[in-house]
Amino acid sequence: MKRKTKRLLILLACGAGLASAAGLTLSAFSDNLVFFVSPSDLAKNTPNGRQMRLGGMVEQGTVERTSGGHAGARFKVTDGKADVLVTYKGLLPDLFREGQGVVVLGVEQPDGVFKASEVLAKHDENYMPKEVVDALKKSGEWNPSSGSPPPNAVWNAPAKPAGS
Amino acid sequence: MTHLPYIAASYVLALGVPLFFAISTTFRLRVAKRRLAVIDPRGKR
Amino acid sequence: MDTRQTIAPPRPVKLFHRFANPGQFLRLSGKVLPWLYSAGVLLTAIGVIWGLFFAPNDWQQGDTVKIMYVHVPFAWLASAGYVSLAICSVLSLVWRHPLADLAAAELGPVGAAFTAVCLATGSLWGKPTWGAWWVWDARLTSVFVLFLLYLGHIALVRAFDDPTRGYRAGAILALVGVINLPIIKFSVNWWNTLHQPASIGLTGAPTIAASLLWPLLFTTLGFTLLFAAITVARTRAGVMERRIRMLLMAKTSESGQS
Repeated sequence: MKRKTKRLLILLACGAGLASAAGLTLSAFSDNLVFFVSPSDLAKNTPNGRQMRLGGMVEQGTVERTSGGHAGARFKVTDGKADVLVTYKGLLPDLFREGQGVVVLGVEQPDGVFKASEVLAKHDENYMPKEVVDALKKSGEWNPSSGSPPPNAVWNAPAKPAGS
Repeated sequence: MTHLPYIAASYVLALGVPLFFAISTTFRLRVAKRRLAVIDPRGKR
Repeated sequence: MDTRQTIAPPRPVKLFHRFANPGQFLRLSGKVLPWLYSAGVLLTAIGVIWGLFFAPNDWQQGDTVKIMYVHVPFAWLASAGYVSLAICSVLSLVWRHPLADLAAAELGPVGAAFTAVCLATGSLWGKPTWGAWWVWDARLTSVFVLFLLYLGHIALVRAFDDPTRGYRAGAILALVGVINLPIIKFSVNWWNTLHQPASIGLTGAPTIAASLLWPLLFTTLGFTLLFAAITVARTRAGVMERRIRMLLMAKTSESGQS
């Protein structure tokens, strides 16, 4: 065997070993790599008083902004199967709205209410100018406060000219 | 709501870093060329 | 020389050896470099001006979406630069390609700086949209690890008195780090992350409206050409500097003998 071939084979063997090791490690730790839990995950366990992150969509028609001395809000976070009531005192991010994905950091109270100390807005992978959103609203294809936009093929078909 | 400072900072970084590399590398190349010409006059590059 | 080795190897090996000739590289890169630079500057300028002044705002993010036109190219180049580093490392370890060693050493700092810009612009984008400068989700963490890998490579390549040992150690580190690349790419699909999934894939229409997408294509191509130009220019300088060192060493040993 030529030395070059031998070096190449050694390299490939090391690579295969390393890749499988990494793959196994990642699958073993995958539960800990999760940045947030969903409302259904939360519903499965009893409140344990530990700080955690809850992720989901702000449910339509549930946002009550509390005004006065402390700005804040009460709203429900849902994943379509379960929902959790969240209370929060503080400034909400600009992107916060009904139908928006959010990740809130806080503690689940014994009564099941999630008391948040931080609210982050989760942007999705869709980017569109206002006109496109207005057109979708007008045609009834999408109401932004009800959830994610329709499949991109509806509003961003490759055949359509730019800016349409 | 506008977020001009964030946008300005991003573009300054994104344009500034390649510019810095381009200028410093051009300078480095010029120095190397000059030194090479002094040491090795026959290898004209 | 073993004759079998000159006849038997298939074409790619011959190709490597043609570029392995430093003189050949200097001649070729000298011709290509001005074109790389000018095309890169032109495309980046078109993309930036289009993106800043003519592309519409996102309906939710407003003008903050303009950070996308610089963040995405740098994120792509952070990974693509690392792929180049890994290719150089294979060429260095298996084929003992002298030019690959120099190119890898010159790639490291550029890749690290571009990754830093990716992290910084991402942070500047995250604050107004998410409401946080930084979160330790799988995507952000894995890109941060990429940045550390670049830094480790920079340090390792320069850590030995014998440069060849540094190049070997750096190449091994770079190849071990390749594991991180699929993690970066698929982190947003495998785990819950705050970072959104990819908007542009190989299949299906992009989830970015066409009017917002065009400038991104220009800046991505433009910054990629600039990255290539900078790397080629640095490798040129590296080749010349090595020649200077060798000539100086030859001279001192000559004068020492006489």
